[in-house]
Amino acid sequence: MQLLLFNVFNGLVIGMFYALMALGLSLILSLNFTINMAHGGFLIVGAYLAFTLNPYLGFWGALVAGPLCAAVLGLVVERLLIKPLYKRNEPLYSLLVTFGLALVIQDVARRIWGPQGLPFSIPEALNSPISEALFFITGYRALIVAIALIAAIALFLILQYTRLGVRIRAGTRDLETVAALGVNIYVLRALNFGLGCLFAGLAGVLAAGQLGLIPTMGESVIMPSFVAIIVGGVGSLVGSILGGLIIGVAAGVMTTYYPAASEAVIYLIMAVVLVVRPRGLLGQEGLFE
Amino acid sequence: MSLLRLESISRHFGSLVALQDVSLEMAAGELRAVIGPNGAGKTTLFNMVSGFFPPSSGRVFFEGQPINADRAEARVRRGIVRTFQITEIFHELNVYENVCVAVETAAGLNSRPWVSRETATRVRRRIDELLALTGLAAKADRVASELAHGDQRVVEVAIALAMRPRLLLLDEPTAGMGDEETDRMVGLIRRLHQEQHLSILFIEHDMDIVFGIAQRITVLDQGRILAEGSPAEVSANEKVRAAYLGEAA
Amino acid sequence: MNRKIAALAVLWALLATAPWWLPYVGGYTQLGSRVLIYALATMSLNLLLGFTGGLSFGHAAYFGLGGYGAGMTLKYLAPSTPLALLVGTLVGGAAATLLGPSVMRRRGIYFAMITIAIGQLFYFVAVRWNEVTGGEDGLAGYSRQPLHLGGWTLPLDDTAFYYLVLVCFAASVGIIGLLLRSPLGRTWVAIRENQRRAQFLGLTVPLYVWASFAISGTLTALAGALNALLNNFTSPQDLHWILSGNFVIMVVLGGMRSFWGPLAGVIIFLVAQDYLSSLTENWMTFIGIIFILVVLLFPRGLLGMLRSRLQPK
Repeated sequence: MQLLLFNVFNGLVIGMFYALMALGLSLILSLNFTINMAHGGFLIVGAYLAFTLNPYLGFWGALVAGPLCAAVLGLVVERLLIKPLYKRNEPLYSLLVTFGLALVIQDVARRIWGPQGLPFSIPEALNSPISEALFFITGYRALIVAIALIAAIALFLILQYTRLGVRIRAGTRDLETVAALGVNIYVLRALNFGLGCLFAGLAGVLAAGQLGLIPTMGESVIMPSFVAIIVGGVGSLVGSILGGLIIGVAAGVMTTYYPAASEAVIYLIMAVVLVVRPRGLLGQEGLFE
Repeated sequence: MSLLRLESISRHFGSLVALQDVSLEMAAGELRAVIGPNGAGKTTLFNMVSGFFPPSSGRVFFEGQPINADRAEARVRRGIVRTFQITEIFHELNVYENVCVAVETAAGLNSRPWVSRETATRVRRRIDELLALTGLAAKADRVASELAHGDQRVVEVAIALAMRPRLLLLDEPTAGMGDEETDRMVGLIRRLHQEQHLSILFIEHDMDIVFGIAQRITVLDQGRILAEGSPAEVSANEKVRAAYLGEAA
Repeated sequence: MNRKIAALAVLWALLATAPWWLPYVGGYTQLGSRVLIYALATMSLNLLLGFTGGLSFGHAAYFGLGGYGAGMTLKYLAPSTPLALLVGTLVGGAAATLLGPSVMRRRGIYFAMITIAIGQLFYFVAVRWNEVTGGEDGLAGYSRQPLHLGGWTLPLDDTAFYYLVLVCFAASVGIIGLLLRSPLGRTWVAIRENQRRAQFLGLTVPLYVWASFAISGTLTALAGALNALLNNFTSPQDLHWILSGNFVIMVVLGGMRSFWGPLAGVIIFLVAQDYLSSLTENWMTFIGIIFILVVLLFPRGLLGMLRSRLQPK
């Protein structure tokens, strides 16, 4: 029983990462109409820059700085690489561009910081478990869950109550009308992309504290994030979070009973969803069809 | 037996009522115009008849058969063919190829990886026939996207004709056209009706055209039928004059 | 028209005599085989991508399945090259056919997303199913067997294998060409051009997309099977999303809307990759930059640009 709890919690933590990444990917998917293949790259940027800044800003400073750097890079990328492609009305190109970007970022990261794993120092206080019985819930892991929740809630508050958020939501429904209403959609799309990358960067910093850094860390999270979006439903942000948590917890549960299949269960769930309910749990019918 | 019969059709989009209790009957061989102010529900009507979406309530009959359950593809096969307000053609293909696709589809050849010389000749002849009928023969090898707007809309009509429509729905066929192009399109519609005996239902804003060629007119306003009848009857109708023709009449 | 025929004649002549002239330009027969194999894979992909409009970013799945199918046949079933090719092709083809329905109703990015996820699923299986596939280390311990034609045995050395690849390539190219010139091919193009119009011509679009997906996957699997025989080795890298992306960029590089575009793209890409990897350790960065530059500056690809230059206006 204790083992199950342990693994479920593990799964929850991992699910949080998937959810964070899926959230960012989903934002970019809905408003920039791009599959950001470089999302893993922004995760790396957040993680490695946090690592570099850690000695100067401390853990908490790096926690803020890393995602911000990822967001800023996102803004630059959107302006230089994605914006010229909107008018082509063909999603293939932005996919290829982010693909190429992904290759570049991973390679450059490897060049600058080396191919081996690097440790990321977190405050000593967070290392210890929060209670005797629940020994596996270390302070840090609780922090991960907490921050991820806060970030998700913050995002929803932004989307619901701020001008930017309302415009983003409107834009995913009908970008033309939003533009006709006088909103600067170029800025809107840039900010949206940056926001998506912010989440990737955040996932990166949090992951660094948990698992250390390695140039391939982005890759291992991005694919399950895709699955999270497919399971949760394209076009639904809540779905992305849900999807991420579901596959994370499922993998965690599977680890208890049949560890070898823990990763497989993610793809199994995806296959079932694709066959039984292709639009995903909370997906909207007819989107992107 | 009427060609097309709508029985108390309604269509809602959430709280927006696009069509309300619309009943309509159209005979074969008729040339009918659907007019009405913007937002009256004309295109919704077309979308509904062509199978874009089903009615929220009410029934649609085509040649006596209920077709509510038929999706768009099935309706085309019954002979309900439409053109769109925004020209929908194959932009990077040339005119010949555009019509070719339609002709081959009408002949059921789509899944063939190979056709006999005989069949290919028949297809070629039919394409030439359609190009001649619509006056596009000279532009056959021009790429569709490079054509003038008016020509593109004629191409769309040619594609529709290739499908041997039993009911042709033209959504604002002269939209965006200059005088010369408009005359050409109107002439084409007239020819199709008189020489080819096609049943045509068309949406139009230009009253000169409507009263020039339509046999019967259906007037929509805010999702309901305001009036219906011959051009004389409609232009004399008080409600219609007030709602729509007011300034012009 | 004559120019086209002449160009084609030259092309086939060059391909037929490649083992002879390749060394003079710094190449070698194996490279020629590799080019043909990748060209086959990308021309099949283009059937779906450039001609039907299906954004498949997971085509390496079928390439890899073909490879594993062939390799495992030789390793576990029978030392027969034709059988290996057949099994590989069928395995990949079956996968594409069975998976078609999950993508056939989707378009654009969602189509792409599902293909990526499917690709990753197979990669994952290849990496984890150690006992059967050899896991991360790949599938080794097999080699291409001599062909037994009647009473005559033909050992498949580099040159003989090149001609086997060429025969398969020619046959497949013939099939693709035939299909694209037929009503079926025109239907695919119509779907690519305007799906709504196709639908309102009464076409059940998903079925045609399915057919395109299945055929494309099958021929790519054949390429993968040949690849396994070329290297006498298959690994999860043959299923990886990077390879899928490479396939797409090769198609775009050469010209997505042209029949021979992928071949041109393959040649340029493989040569560039070869050159860059000998030059610097960070050749991946440059490949990524190539992706970006091609998309931003040369989206119509080499043959696309040539065509618009040569087109009389």
